[in-house]
Amino acid sequence: MSTQTQMAAGPDPDLSAEQKIQQIRELFADAPEVGKRALENVLKELSAQVSEPPPPIESAGRVGARLGKRSELTIIVPLVPGGAKRLRTFLQLLGGNLSPGATKVGTLHDMRFVFLDNDTRLLFATSFDGDWDTYIDDFVALIPDYLDLMDSAWEGWPGIRSPEAKDYLIKHQITAEGWFVANPELSLAEIERLKRIGKATDEFLDKIQ
Amino acid sequence: MQPQTQLDHDRIVEQKIQKVKELYADAPELGRAALEKGIPDLKREMAAATGAQSAGRVGARQGKVSELTGILPIAEGGAKRLRGLLELLEGNFKGADAVGTLHDMRFVFLDNDTKLLFATAYDGEWNAYIDDFVTKIPNALDLLFCNIEGWPGIHDPNVKDWLVKHQTTAAAWYVASPNLTVAETRRLERIGKALDEFLDKISE
Repeated sequence: MSTQTQMAAGPDPDLSAEQKIQQIRELFADAPEVGKRALENVLKELSAQVSEPPPPIESAGRVGARLGKRSELTIIVPLVPGGAKRLRTFLQLLGGNLSPGATKVGTLHDMRFVFLDNDTRLLFATSFDGDWDTYIDDFVALIPDYLDLMDSAWEGWPGIRSPEAKDYLIKHQITAEGWFVANPELSLAEIERLKRIGKATDEFLDKIQ
Repeated sequence: MQPQTQLDHDRIVEQKIQKVKELYADAPELGRAALEKGIPDLKREMAAATGAQSAGRVGARQGKVSELTGILPIAEGGAKRLRGLLELLEGNFKGADAVGTLHDMRFVFLDNDTKLLFATAYDGEWNAYIDDFVTKIPNALDLLFCNIEGWPGIHDPNVKDWLVKHQTTAAAWYVASPNLTVAETRRLERIGKALDEFLDKISE
């Protein structure tokens, strides 16, 4: 998919900050008035960002974007006839809450299922730690049946244990062109550790008072 | 929980399992096999489910963390501008830190650059969250969304109605740490750092 190659290429590293700003100006020369005005207002901030760029977005591996330790997965799949009804009712019966299964995947930060285009397509989007292949392997090893239950509504889904499962996922995944994470260096394991430290610290402080 | 209530609860779970079985009667073989194997887990899941809640006018929430998922039609020439801007910023948005309640945010081009998926995870209620965007990074939003068809401008009184119209509530929403806001995570980070320094000092 063309988006990935563009992602990997990124902007020309030799461009100076001034040249980048100039390019943004040119890009927005034919933008609607509201966009042109907004650009004037943020030009100073943008100059700061392009001259001292924050850590760039990298690849999550075979597909997907990553910032620091955190990656994104965005998949849009066509649904089989009857699939939307099955999946929607199934999710309703679970109260829209997937915690008991999903918490088994210790690298999964968040996950959403969104029905699109009159229930003909499904958006499946997650935020996770690290590399794409490892993450998918976690799903396969830890909650294979949950995946097949939900993904059997996906057109052409080969089954999670099929050697073609990863190719299917890659074919339907679209790499994000913009990806922001508030705490990109905090893995889920690290967050759990910090939660324990926070709790212990509170108890400690209570005790010495 | 009283015995009677427990019984009712079990009965509801049984009914739900029955309903899932009916739903999956005409599923592909793969799905039916997965259901057979998954029934014990499913029972646990249904018994434990607290239910995703609403984020307000639109969107799902689990604990303190909500989701926003919008599919937006890209205006003529908008894809080139937006893609170019994101590339020059190397896909990163430092300014988004200013919002303070934003966990993560993605921009994904769909359907040959005719649509944009905008998806975020954020703290709390929808109205307050949009207000944060409007007061803290109004220009950044106009810069990004002026490339979307019909964008009224962030200061337009109809901007919230416009957003609601383009947002689709997730049918399921999972958050690993549903009670951790961005602010609370920052606080824990500081405590962790202070503790490390403290331990370093007393071992000197």
